[in-house]
Amino acid sequence: MIRLFNVSKKYNDATAVSGASLEVAKGEFVFLTGPSGAGKTTLLRMMLRQELPSSGQLIVNGRNVAALPASKVPDLRRSIGVVFQDFKLIQRKTALDNVAYVLNVAGVPRSEQRKKAYEALRGVGLNHKLSAYPNTLSGGEQQRVAIARAVVNEPTLLLADEPTGNLDPDLAVEIMRLFREINARGTTVLVATHDRDLIERMQRRTIILEHGSVIAGGDTA
Amino acid sequence: MSFFWHRLRFFATDAWDELRHSPGVNLLAVGTLVAVLFGTGLVALILSNVGVFVGSLREDVRVEVYLAQDVSEERREVLHGTLSAIEGVTQVDHIDQAAALERYSVWAGEMAGLVDELEVNPLPESFEVFLAPGPGAEGVGARIQDEYGGAEGVEQVRFDRELLGRIEALLDLARFGGGGLGLLVLAAVIFVMASVLRLAVYARRDEIDIMLLVGATPAFVRGPFLVAGVVQGLFSSVAALALIEVARRTTREYASAESLGLLDLFLQNPLPDRYVLGLFLIGLAVSCTAAWFAVRQRV
Repeated sequence: MIRLFNVSKKYNDATAVSGASLEVAKGEFVFLTGPSGAGKTTLLRMMLRQELPSSGQLIVNGRNVAALPASKVPDLRRSIGVVFQDFKLIQRKTALDNVAYVLNVAGVPRSEQRKKAYEALRGVGLNHKLSAYPNTLSGGEQQRVAIARAVVNEPTLLLADEPTGNLDPDLAVEIMRLFREINARGTTVLVATHDRDLIERMQRRTIILEHGSVIAGGDTA
Repeated sequence: MSFFWHRLRFFATDAWDELRHSPGVNLLAVGTLVAVLFGTGLVALILSNVGVFVGSLREDVRVEVYLAQDVSEERREVLHGTLSAIEGVTQVDHIDQAAALERYSVWAGEMAGLVDELEVNPLPESFEVFLAPGPGAEGVGARIQDEYGGAEGVEQVRFDRELLGRIEALLDLARFGGGGLGLLVLAAVIFVMASVLRLAVYARRDEIDIMLLVGATPAFVRGPFLVAGVVQGLFSSVAALALIEVARRTTREYASAESLGLLDLFLQNPLPDRYVLGLFLIGLAVSCTAAWFAVRQRV
């Protein structure tokens, strides 16, 4: 599902990722952890083709990400669900429209969009907040909308960058429960977090990054 | 096809959403375009009306043959006969001295009384020779001028094509010069509008990033901005055209009877259809181009 071979990323003189190699198999639930500045976010950004690696090879969903032509990047991103710490919801759209937008982008007919978006929001327990705008929702609710948006298109891979960073511990557990359910349905989940308690509670494979290098857990068991 | 309409519908809905959420920036863009289209339309209105006036003068092609004071009745008859026989001449009218004085009185208005103080009527009698309009008229007029200029019983022949030629040359200059200046102005307007619309795009930069992150193609992200550009162009063009017609009618309605004659030289007829269509398309093109440049910088 995800394979990195000796991937590095440099910004001028600063090295964000240095020779990272790792593998995540299909259907796995993996944590990517390490202190702030370890390179977790940079790795996820490279997987989404928001950044290009300076060297090395990065395969996501069978695609060589660095060699992907710009015209194919939207296809790659549509095959990946993504959740961010700051939710990244479109403020002028309702919860339902935020979720339906992904389906719209994929060319799903409008009637089906509404149905699927509703089901996704119901799946995260927000079927009573369909018409709510993000700024009227709590942090936990916004993150659940973001998760519904990430999974509505039934992606094979879900990437989450510090998804519980802005939430209190109870809500963090709730979000992890949702990720576990999504993973149980067959979606590969990669969660970047520095929350040690959460990782210990979930008991899943953990890849540890330090100073841009993978120091443990990079290989599948 | 349904996919196309589905996309278009989404773009239109999203564009409307965008216009609703950033009314200030969009009104500024529309206001700029309306002002420029209004100015351009007014110039086009004046040029087209003056053009119509000059065209009507062109249709009225005549040569004035002024007779000598001592011309005999017999010679006058001969001149009338030979002038009427020229190919391309449609009519020859004799204007005697009394008729000439009457015309002068109408033309001179309050100044006409000056002539009354003279003991004799100083105005000469003449023939007005009307020519068939068309490309051959110039040649016929010039021939009459040449042949009758120094003829017996003829004092002077006037075939004043130069004035018309000059007016037409001025109109052409105004059209081409105005066209060139118009292009420069439109380029400037595109730049100004693009800068204004760039603010709207900038205000939505986070949203655009999110759209791209969830797999939207750049074309999909640009769509609503371009549709908003089309809507702004349509609205601005219609508003500017309506304002031009309202301004024309209002000016004529409130003009005094004395000034209406002069005003009608510029404002009598509404903008011709081809100008209306042209202005409409220019508004649309300017707005779409500005929207394209604005969004192209980000996506």
